[in-house]
Amino acid sequence: MAKALETRRSHLVLVALVVSHLVIISHQVDAGGGVSLLQKTASVVFSPLQRAVAGAIRLVAGGYRGYVALRGVRQENEVLKDRASGLEVELERQRRLAEEAVRLRELLDLQAVLPYSTVAAEVLSRDVTPWFRSVTIGKGSADGIGLNAAVVSPSGVVGRVIGVGPRAARVQLLLDREAGVGALLEKSRVNGVCAGQVGFADQGQSDLVMRYVPALAEVAPGERVLTSGLDGIYPKGLVIGRVRSAGPPSGLFREVIVTPTARFDQLEQVLVMREAVPRPELTESVR
Amino acid sequence: MKWPLTIAGLVVALAAQTALSLVLPREGRLFDPFLLVVVYSGLVFGETHGMLAGTAAGWIQDLQFGGAVTGLQALTKILIGFAVGAAATRFLIAATTTRFLVLFAATLLDALVFERFALVFEVPASELSLAGLFGRAALNAVLGSALFQILDARLRRAVQP
Repeated sequence: MAKALETRRSHLVLVALVVSHLVIISHQVDAGGGVSLLQKTASVVFSPLQRAVAGAIRLVAGGYRGYVALRGVRQENEVLKDRASGLEVELERQRRLAEEAVRLRELLDLQAVLPYSTVAAEVLSRDVTPWFRSVTIGKGSADGIGLNAAVVSPSGVVGRVIGVGPRAARVQLLLDREAGVGALLEKSRVNGVCAGQVGFADQGQSDLVMRYVPALAEVAPGERVLTSGLDGIYPKGLVIGRVRSAGPPSGLFREVIVTPTARFDQLEQVLVMREAVPRPELTESVR
Repeated sequence: MKWPLTIAGLVVALAAQTALSLVLPREGRLFDPFLLVVVYSGLVFGETHGMLAGTAAGWIQDLQFGGAVTGLQALTKILIGFAVGAAATRFLIAATTTRFLVLFAATLLDALVFERFALVFEVPASELSLAGLFGRAALNAVLGSALFQILDARLRRAVQP
């Protein structure tokens, strides 16, 4: 009897949970997504923990790298073991500092070139589910970051902000299936749209596909692909990648495979635009 | 006891996924510690708790690591929690091999159900290949079985006078 009651109770809970989630999901699908109060709250609650874990991981990784280097020196030269190990650790530390300085200098150079106000942000975590491509950064609305803000790195366009909390934001990478950016071939000045490749999540698809390229357009492998600025998110002229190959014409258009220049697996710091790209004013006659 | 344990499991899962995303970004995608929390909750505490743990785990994943639509992973994990809990109340799932199979099946189900929901609600989400699907299931099953063993031993030691 008690077991039957328990079973009935669990079935009722199941129905209630499933129905409430279907309502929540359907509401979002109808509303077109966006950032809810719940997402903002979750960002406030979880980002400190993620920040702490990210800091600890970097600390341990740094120590581990130092240890590996130290062990190599010991094996090679036992006589100079202590001195060499100390030097090796120091060298490694200096090298990391130098690498970080180079990265920051590149960011500063890029920041100076960009015609918009930007803010540098640290990558706190990368996507962990097989279905999406995103990263969490350590700056949010309190730093002037808004929804759809463009995110760039010195090596190329990274993506756009799809969720903002006060102290953290989620960035959709260009590799995501849902991502898209107005693109322009540098030499032929042909416009198109670059998007993440439709592919299996675990196969490491790292190329983009540029669609709506006219079938008659001349596309040379190695040609640079830039942002066109027509999407209203990314400013014109930022590097997206280089043409890897061009597919055969299909009707009026052909697809071009683009290798992105941004190193998505090695992102540590990025620049986020604080201002939206201004849309061109339409004159009355054009309207 | 069960809620503190579940909440601790979810916090550890969040920390583990954040750490994995930084150390092994590509391989980390194949391991789902939140699923392990849901399966363990279902196995040990029954279907109702499995569903509630699934709700919590799914919402954390949706809010922190999900796509544009929130609630899809929660809905998936609710069904997984229910299925595992229902199976645990009807069958004896205590041996390591049986738990391995349950974890394997739960991981497969998790991916397939999520991809179906994504399709139904028109949420663009990449699909796992067959090799990725089974590789993910095997990895979760191996790591989960080992973790469950350790957790069981610790819990037994904690309740023994």
